[in-house]
Amino acid sequence: MPAVQDTIDRVRKIDVDQYKYGFQTEIAMDKAPKGLSEDIIRFISAKKDEPSWMLEWRLEAYRRWLTLDEPNWARVNYPKIDFQDIYYYAAPKSTPGPTSLSDVDPELLKVYEKLGIPLREQEILAGVQKTDVSEFEEASDNVYKSGRVAVDAVFDSVSVVTTFKKELAQAGVIFCSISEAIREHPELVKKYLGSVVPTTDNFYATLNSAVFTDGSFVFVPKGVRCPMELSTYFRMNEKNTGQFERTLIIAEEGAYVSYLEGCTAPQRDENQLHAAVVELIALDDAEIKYSTVQNWYPGDAEGKGGIYNFVTKRGDCRGHRSKISWTQVETGSAITWKYPSCILRGDDSSGEFYSIAVSNGYQQVDSGTKMIHLGKNTSSRIISKGIAAGFSQNTYRGQVSAHRKATNARNFTNCDSLLIGDQCGAHTVPYMEAKNSTAQFEHEATTSKISEDQKFYVMQRGIPEEEAIALIVNGFVKDVIQQLPMEFAVEAQKLIGISLEGSVG
Amino acid sequence: MPVLSAKPREIPGAELMNMHAQPQRTPAETALIDAFGERLSLLPGDGAVMLKRDDAIEAIKHGLPTRRVESWHYTDLRRLLTSVPAFDPAAATKAIAPVIEGSAVLPLLDGVSTAKLPDIEGVTVQRLSEKLTDGSVAPGLDPYGADDAIGALNTAFVADGYFVDIADGAELDRPLELQNLQSAGQTHVRLLTRVGDGAKATIVERQTGEGAALVSSVSQLVLGEGAEVTWLIVQEQPDTATHLAQFKAHLGKNSKLTLFVMNAGGKLVRQEIVVRTTGEGADFKLRGINLLAGDTHTDVTMVLDHAVPHTTSTEVIRNVVTGKARGVFQGRINVHQYAQKTNAKMACNTLLLSDDGEFSTKPELEIFADDVVCGHGATVTEIDHDHLFYLMARGIDEKSARGLLVKAFVAEVIEELDDEAIVDALEARLDDWFLTHG
Repeated sequence: MPAVQDTIDRVRKIDVDQYKYGFQTEIAMDKAPKGLSEDIIRFISAKKDEPSWMLEWRLEAYRRWLTLDEPNWARVNYPKIDFQDIYYYAAPKSTPGPTSLSDVDPELLKVYEKLGIPLREQEILAGVQKTDVSEFEEASDNVYKSGRVAVDAVFDSVSVVTTFKKELAQAGVIFCSISEAIREHPELVKKYLGSVVPTTDNFYATLNSAVFTDGSFVFVPKGVRCPMELSTYFRMNEKNTGQFERTLIIAEEGAYVSYLEGCTAPQRDENQLHAAVVELIALDDAEIKYSTVQNWYPGDAEGKGGIYNFVTKRGDCRGHRSKISWTQVETGSAITWKYPSCILRGDDSSGEFYSIAVSNGYQQVDSGTKMIHLGKNTSSRIISKGIAAGFSQNTYRGQVSAHRKATNARNFTNCDSLLIGDQCGAHTVPYMEAKNSTAQFEHEATTSKISEDQKFYVMQRGIPEEEAIALIVNGFVKDVIQQLPMEFAVEAQKLIGISLEGSVG
Repeated sequence: MPVLSAKPREIPGAELMNMHAQPQRTPAETALIDAFGERLSLLPGDGAVMLKRDDAIEAIKHGLPTRRVESWHYTDLRRLLTSVPAFDPAAATKAIAPVIEGSAVLPLLDGVSTAKLPDIEGVTVQRLSEKLTDGSVAPGLDPYGADDAIGALNTAFVADGYFVDIADGAELDRPLELQNLQSAGQTHVRLLTRVGDGAKATIVERQTGEGAALVSSVSQLVLGEGAEVTWLIVQEQPDTATHLAQFKAHLGKNSKLTLFVMNAGGKLVRQEIVVRTTGEGADFKLRGINLLAGDTHTDVTMVLDHAVPHTTSTEVIRNVVTGKARGVFQGRINVHQYAQKTNAKMACNTLLLSDDGEFSTKPELEIFADDVVCGHGATVTEIDHDHLFYLMARGIDEKSARGLLVKAFVAEVIEELDDEAIVDALEARLDDWFLTHG
């Protein structure tokens, strides 16, 4: 759509100020002093009641981190981060075992209410004891008509509660916070933690390894199809804190799991740092589907405030015929620096990446994927849709490589960008590296506005202009929305609507 | 005696060229810096030119670019440039027959312009050494960015070349061939061409030789309003030579440039193409063929700036990789904020014929205007088995069938040039390559 004045005016007025989740909650917090040092890491480790090997692991990462430089190759600009001016640990003060909702800190409940989490679920999330599981199931059934969802809620540095643990345990699935996993299942954590994203991987991943405070842990044993969707809700609440969560998902032979993360943060003038690490491991015939609806606070209309989202996500298709699929809807964050990748190690394994990145206001997105083909007959597919509006910069950066032994590697990449307004930028930076003659790589990218023809076609059917544009944008992102679990597809569609409101109706 | 600046000056951004410079210089870096000291008294140029040379060698002193410099990601010059031959005063080579029969030839033999300048109607030719001595080309000697190692290397050492001026409205009746031939040592040349308003010309840039030389060659072309130019770069260096080349062009209003690049030789080759549309209605076509064999490294890097509204471009690159060859194509299309109605399309197709070969491609789009249509496509694949089967089912043996398909894959790009003499001449070069590498 060319610069229809009306649209431009609306773009100016909109969006970031409409951030729905910008509220802040006053909750009594336990905090470590500001700054980063070995003592802080010892403090975090002690708070978490961690075994000594874990502390050693963290300290090693920290020492390594001190030797690293911040990466600067991405197409993003921001003032230098003062890593000593951040709280590395903040947790809601625990009150011993509330027995009903009335005992729970009302502020905490308000948070969940604002997030749209229904009462019953709130009760569980607030850690009310003796809650009847069946009662909750009923509640949950009402919310998600098409299926139930187990939720792990992470509030600043700690996991507040995990639901449906019992039922999942019956199926043999372990779903808990990573801190709990370190205590309860050290053998699994020891075996897999850092095996996909080593502590030495990159600046932010190494920082995360040193100071991660919580996150989710999922283990799906051999042959088990996880009976429900798993979900984590991240909420950054406390001022000047950084959130460093660590997620580890393991699907053993023939297992299947679908996992979704969602995130929000209050509206603030300062920038906050979020540096997460996600590791996925799929053994023979296993499948992991990982979906993200990222809606961190993007900053205000002048580009003030917002979350710096520097995330390392990587999946390892370790087994033969394994499959890892990333789906992401990125609408939030002031800066996004994120490249969910697949290492296709097992023969016949496959990786997928579906992404919608919407940027508005002064947001900067530099996101994409890496598909590393190592095994024979591996295949990967990348569909990326970027929509840039306002003054934002939206970059797709992706790498596809086939190594010497990756016979018959196949890749298809499609990245399309849509520009709304003439103050924004859309960029495509794909890297293709073939070292095997049987590799077959295809890449296509287009950048355009909404064509007059398309708009005319829809409008001549009696649909008003703004609606017509919304319809076309929905069509533009449909390939990706379809990959989301049903419950969240609706949420994602709404999010895109809110993010672009005014610019596309 | 050239005037030297009293002390090395700060060059803004020079440290960017190699941000992770190791204190230790490589033998190649040392050789270049030493060579500069030795050559200095022989290099032509007035004070302004010598200042540019000083700046350029300072940039090289900061280290050659490594893979950490984004534009050199796949060609780690610091690692790949293992040795630099010394200047060889004994080097002597002869002009050769032009690619297209009947062309007017302007030879540069081991970096030195010819004794007698040809007389072509509508064309004024000058030696670059003279333009360096009088300083009139000094402003154009700046590298185009902090990561422009080829520009810096050339500016430091360039001693000769040609300045070709094609008058307004002139239509050349025969092609002009600029031959850059080397036999040994180092050669650093620069070819400056201005094509006047409404002029038409076909220009061949021939890059070949017979020795293990280091060649740097920078071509700068300015197209006036409505000018139409077909520029053919035919690079057939021996597989012992290092060839670092740059082609820079500014396209004026309603001008048309068709640039054809054929790389069929060289041990370490980097061909940079830097094009900017400066007038509305300009059209740029790039057609490229990279024929890669042996244990070689060839990099074609293009940066195209659509800087004004209503300009168009298409780029088609075809690569054939055999043996242990490594190929690179980087193509970046920048569409500036006011360059509305830009139409740009780029395609890079690669046939990877051996398991030891590799090809990396990075087609980039950087778009700041909303009313544009831009796209790129890239493929890497082997020969289609169906196609092979089709031919073999007709009694053609596998080797010939493969040969036919590979040739057809690249010849398609040549045929598009739509000028019989050019197509025939280029296909002859193609056949030559297939004969030696088939």
